[in-house]
Amino acid sequence: MTAPFAELVAATNYSFLRGASHPAEMVGRAHALGLGGLGIADRNTVAGVVRAHMAWRGIGGAESGLRLAVGARLVFAADAETGETPSDVVAYPATRHGWGRLTRLLTLGNLRAVKGACILHPADLIAHAEDLLLIVCGPDRGLIAQLVAARPGAVWLAAMMPRGGSDARDLAERQALAAAMGVPLLATNDVLYARAEARPLHDVITCIREGTTMAEAGRRLLANAERHLKAPPEMARLFRACPAAIAATGDLLSRIAFTLDDLRYEYPHETVPAGWTPQGWLEHLVHTEARRRFPDGLPDRWQSTIADELGLIRTKQYAPYFLTVHDIVRHARSLDPPILCQGRGSAANSVVCYLLGITSVDPVKHTLLFSRFLSEERDEPPDIDVDFEHERREEIMQYIYDRFGRERAGIAATVIHYRPRSTLREVGKALGLSEDVTARLSGTIWGSHGREVAETRVAEAGFDLANPAIARVKALVDQLLDCPRHLSQHVGGFVLTEGRLDEMVPIHNAAMPDRTFIEWDKDDIDALGLMKVDVLALGMLTCIRKSFDLLRGLGLGDHALQNVPAEDPGVYDMLCRGDSIGTFQVESRAQINMLPRMKPRKLYDLVIQVAIVRPGPIQGGMVHPYLRRRNGEEKVVYPRPAAPHDPDELCGVLGKTLGVPLFQEQAMKLAIVAAGFTPAEADGLRRAMATFRNRGTIEHYRTLMVDGMTARGYEPDFAARCFEQIRGFGEYGFPESHAQAFGWLAYVSSWLKCRHPAVFTCALLNSQPMGFYAPAQLVRDARDHGVEVRPPDVNASAGDSTIEHRADGALALRLGLGRIEGFRDGWAEAIVAARRAGAFASVEDLARRADLPTAALRKLADADALGTLAANRREAAWAVRRMPAGQLPLFAGTGAAELGAEPDARLPAMPLGEEVVADYQTTRLSLKAHPMQFLRATLAGEGVMSCAEINAARDGRAVRTAGVVLTRQRPGKGNAVFITIEDETGVVNALLWARDFETQRRAVMAARLMQIEGTIQRSAEDVVHLMAVRVIDRSALLERLGDGVEADPPPIRAGHPRNVRILPRSRDFH
Amino acid sequence: MRSQDPALGIRGTDTPPDAPLVLVAKVKGAMVLGAVDADARALGLVPGLTLADARARIPDLIVAEMDAGADRHWLQRLARHCAGWTPLVTTVPPDGITLDIAGADHLFGGEAGLLTEAEETFAGLGMAVRLACAATAEAAQALARHAPLPIAPLSSADEREAIRALPVAVLGLEDEAEIALRRAGLKTIGDVAVRPAAAIAARFGMAAVTALRRLTGEEQAPIAPLVEPEPLHFERRFAEPVGHQAAVAGCFLDLLRMAAEALEARGLGGRRFVLTLFRSDGARHRLAIETGLPTRDPAPVMRLFDERIAALADPLDPGFGYDRITLFLPVTEPLAAAQPQLDGATQDSEALAELIDRLSTRLGPENLCRLAPRDSHIPEQAQLALPAIDARAPIRWPTPPPGQPPQRPLFLFDPPQPVEVIAEVPDGPPHRFRWRRKLHEVRLFEGPERIAAEWWRRKGGEAPGQGGLTRDYYRIEDARGRRYWLFRHGLYEEKADPRWYIHGLFA
Repeated sequence: MTAPFAELVAATNYSFLRGASHPAEMVGRAHALGLGGLGIADRNTVAGVVRAHMAWRGIGGAESGLRLAVGARLVFAADAETGETPSDVVAYPATRHGWGRLTRLLTLGNLRAVKGACILHPADLIAHAEDLLLIVCGPDRGLIAQLVAARPGAVWLAAMMPRGGSDARDLAERQALAAAMGVPLLATNDVLYARAEARPLHDVITCIREGTTMAEAGRRLLANAERHLKAPPEMARLFRACPAAIAATGDLLSRIAFTLDDLRYEYPHETVPAGWTPQGWLEHLVHTEARRRFPDGLPDRWQSTIADELGLIRTKQYAPYFLTVHDIVRHARSLDPPILCQGRGSAANSVVCYLLGITSVDPVKHTLLFSRFLSEERDEPPDIDVDFEHERREEIMQYIYDRFGRERAGIAATVIHYRPRSTLREVGKALGLSEDVTARLSGTIWGSHGREVAETRVAEAGFDLANPAIARVKALVDQLLDCPRHLSQHVGGFVLTEGRLDEMVPIHNAAMPDRTFIEWDKDDIDALGLMKVDVLALGMLTCIRKSFDLLRGLGLGDHALQNVPAEDPGVYDMLCRGDSIGTFQVESRAQINMLPRMKPRKLYDLVIQVAIVRPGPIQGGMVHPYLRRRNGEEKVVYPRPAAPHDPDELCGVLGKTLGVPLFQEQAMKLAIVAAGFTPAEADGLRRAMATFRNRGTIEHYRTLMVDGMTARGYEPDFAARCFEQIRGFGEYGFPESHAQAFGWLAYVSSWLKCRHPAVFTCALLNSQPMGFYAPAQLVRDARDHGVEVRPPDVNASAGDSTIEHRADGALALRLGLGRIEGFRDGWAEAIVAARRAGAFASVEDLARRADLPTAALRKLADADALGTLAANRREAAWAVRRMPAGQLPLFAGTGAAELGAEPDARLPAMPLGEEVVADYQTTRLSLKAHPMQFLRATLAGEGVMSCAEINAARDGRAVRTAGVVLTRQRPGKGNAVFITIEDETGVVNALLWARDFETQRRAVMAARLMQIEGTIQRSAEDVVHLMAVRVIDRSALLERLGDGVEADPPPIRAGHPRNVRILPRSRDFH
Repeated sequence: MRSQDPALGIRGTDTPPDAPLVLVAKVKGAMVLGAVDADARALGLVPGLTLADARARIPDLIVAEMDAGADRHWLQRLARHCAGWTPLVTTVPPDGITLDIAGADHLFGGEAGLLTEAEETFAGLGMAVRLACAATAEAAQALARHAPLPIAPLSSADEREAIRALPVAVLGLEDEAEIALRRAGLKTIGDVAVRPAAAIAARFGMAAVTALRRLTGEEQAPIAPLVEPEPLHFERRFAEPVGHQAAVAGCFLDLLRMAAEALEARGLGGRRFVLTLFRSDGARHRLAIETGLPTRDPAPVMRLFDERIAALADPLDPGFGYDRITLFLPVTEPLAAAQPQLDGATQDSEALAELIDRLSTRLGPENLCRLAPRDSHIPEQAQLALPAIDARAPIRWPTPPPGQPPQRPLFLFDPPQPVEVIAEVPDGPPHRFRWRRKLHEVRLFEGPERIAAEWWRRKGGEAPGQGGLTRDYYRIEDARGRRYWLFRHGLYEEKADPRWYIHGLFA
């Protein structure tokens, strides 16, 4: 008996916009149909093969009876001379060596092209053809001859029965051609999807690819739905005229010895000096550092922890991984000036990492354990992410490329999936809906991370799902949402190898210059057990480093991440007041509201604080129970199972968090301990959670977990909440190991803010853009804390903001010239350089010595930065505008004033309101006054209270207030809109329920100056919210500020947005 | 400007009549409001806002794309309409018209009368206008755009005052310069005008000073009026009525020659020719012909008129003769002068076009069709019958690769005719079939060619199994060598007992 038919030309949806089925779906269907084998071959890529391989492992691998071949379909570029495009060739590596040839070949094509394309010629294939089995897809006589010469005995000619009308004739022609060329014929269905039902989806992606609509596409669509996986009997029937073609599939498959499990990973050798083993070198480094830190001998706890960790690392052979991370971190520190960095992740909470300098949190002191890492049964590489200063991360990335070589280092890919908004637009367009309708439909999706197109949202937009056109869009969008769209580079995950990386996986050019990335994403890399080091960028590290530099320069101490004074009670006092603007992680509105409830008093409290305001704990309903227990309003009890299980089985899991699960690790442990998950199930759950796009899989675990927990006697409600929490983690996972690293940075930033507010604000401003607040709010917060803030001035400012000494010895913050919108760094540098020779005496002096163009002078004058050189801002701007664009050479040498006298223009004086408006327009903030001050009298007359009065008002009082809008947010499920407004006295947080929002949408969305009416809600911790009932757009009042700056109503002609915008944009949702 | 024309089709039937309407244009990749209607303006939407922002505020907005070409065209038409008041009319795109009414306004009751008449005229067209009179075109435009309504005719002193109160935006400077003027505290034209011109010129350029002088009437810019091309209208009058057919025909030819000369001068060719014969007793005959290609050659046009006359139900009766004959060309298209080929041969396409013109004229354009291919897998939808006179582009039909037989028959039954078939299950060819009561033995076959239904035309067609029936086509030759095109309507998975049809005959 011959082996059953194997389908060897199958594309998945990693053949972007051509294949319509997931690799896993293909494998599942092939198995169900009883195929002898399946070959995955996507267009010039192997991006989907790992997923197919995982699915194949999932059904039992080789024991399932299905063999899996992985390769690629090589699509050649048109021949430059003849203009003809050679036939596609499907290539399968027979051996590990062949795999390397294939990936080298694809890399060659990728690097020739700009991002996303792959340019290949048959000559490239012939040069890389060793150990490749080749299927020529078309009757291309010349190509077959070339390939047969290069790889005799390893070339097949594909034969298809696509139901095109002339199948029998075509088959006979191919038989004749195959016989003439001496190659066997191979039966295939040239598969594009697993099941015939995928035809509508395939037609839609064809339209998207061709940029056309269903109605217009015509014969660019396939005529029928035949290109799905077909069962062996059906294929045998179709090829009854040529049974040898069916048998050939088995022959080809039997020659493939390679599976992806053969990719053996080897760590790079550079990190270990000659003569040392990796483990020996790691132990040497750790012990040397331990002796340095504890010259009088290591304490017992340290001793035992180090021994435990090193033992584990030895058995798992992870030493090269730690050494690699250490190498990168050491390099960052060795630069001049050094780059600040900090590690996080499960393995980062180890004494080894602490001693290697990867982290700065003392794990013994804070009783952190690298517990996740310690679970030995999980055979996965450890996980360490390293954050670097965001402005200098690129240096580290280039270092990695340099040290290991581009052929051995690459960034991981991120598979970009279809997002609801853009998918709706593209599917709607393909189905011929107008831009208007699709825009309205896509407007129904608030976030871009939503999964399905929610039916309620569709209805909200005034569309009826019973309407077949809308139902059709929704059905197709839901199918397409699961599909990968294209590959992009991961934010910073590097894969490093000992051998050539391009013999493991193809490499692509990234959109950014000097970046290359590989075709596999994080999950693929995990699945194959490759090592990845995450090199991430963190703005706060830049800010902290700049703060440390400033402090050192001012003689206020030499600080590093490790030696910031720990557990300073003043810092916690500040945080307990909710005074955290500008700090790391605890600065958002939600965090500010939470701080007075949490009342953090030690570092671990901050760790919890960082983790608790997250989708996981919130969706799991764990926040309030935790707060009640922390504040002693509720007894700390541990959920208990029924007998005969150990009633205290969860004490170990939940002990640190008062019996409430808050961290991802705890939720996972709950699944193992309380729901009785096997390690494999727990691992599957973790995977389903990590990639929330694996829709459907997580639902499977819901039943498993809830049933498992209730079977052991836990409350069904508690079980359901635990699962909801896990689902929440899926959207934004937050493990304790990360919270600990972030908690420390939160503490360091809070310490800087508390003890050195001027320096901290200065560093924050110089690290923009970062964080949650605009410079205006940061400056205001600094002034509220008694810091004198001085305006930009050509005779005092540098490009960056700087620190000045006041007469009384206190520090003042001098805003930099960089705060002026559109002011170039080079101009500021020229000003600073020219000023070394002495202060500027006049505008002409400035222009000449700093060699500034008029554009720069105008910006300085407009921003009132010439304050010391001219009578006032208006005169300065008037004078500067007169300066000619270039200096006349005749006058250049003399330095004489080159402009004649001019009669006084008698310009009117600039009112303060207009000054403020001009300040906002040029620097987005004003030190002179708050815009609301000018309207206070008007508003007070109407009974509108100031923000300070609102925050002091008693609970339940009906009030009205007004202010400039800072943020509008509609988080989570979108049942409430949060609005923050500001006036000269402070900030008010208002909440508007969604039903009230819809009726007042225009006012809410359009107002720059908003009047809000509602009632005060004051919590026990004195957190005040204004529960808004009515919102009025009072933006028209702002026009008065400029004293007629804005003629009302705006003329018909479209103006520059700057004219309309008196205040900077708020941060909004759409 | 907002068209009330329901044919514009912007408002669907399901949208409320008072929903705000905005026109959008793509600016740097973002959709930006380019024009808004009064309802939208009342809701605070202004041009320059992005569409996303506008929608966030007012979700049930009606949005249409800007059509700058149509706007320009419409403005031109309005301007021509104004030519009734004064010949000196010019457009100020995108939305303004300037009239020089010096010496013309008294015909309409002075400035006030003219303004009233203009307002009423435009109101009759369903348009709101802002009107103003001033000493210079720039001043009038500025007042119309920026002065508070209503703008009555002003005395020259009041006019000066009104202009001085206008914002500096009317100077039309770059945004940066305009902001600089305002920052200097100079917010109105008056503020700027009192400053020395040298100071303004040094800072904002001569253009600013010129604009200022034109606004204040110190300088006049000439206006370049629209030139309306003369209509292509030709006429012959006769002292004695002409009745003899040869004389009339000679006169036609004369008129066509005159037209040809005029057309050649303008680089145009006529596509529609209207001949009007005025009989001495007051009766009138109108004859109109159309050509598929623009032409100005008198001979073929003359032939077409002959065809037209021959095809008349009522023969042309000259009665006592014609005293006037006119030729009017309402539709023309650009036609470059062509060099005749040296051997005097006409090009085939021209010959065919002439034939189509003649047959269409004789039989009526809707009765002469030609097939054009349509891009579809469904055989009966793969072609389209178009009036031959409209289908001018060369038509290219899909052809089988060289050496391959044609896949589609030359003749299709509409609708396909049912046949009784004995065939192999599931997708074997027919062995024999009965059509029109005659049994045909199948000798040779090829197929199937499988063509799935167009699921997107069916309600719910995207759901599995709802996409419609698939057809399996077979090319058949019967025992007598005749060739047929048969199909089974439906696969056995789709339908338990699919029917067979004959869809076409091969040559």
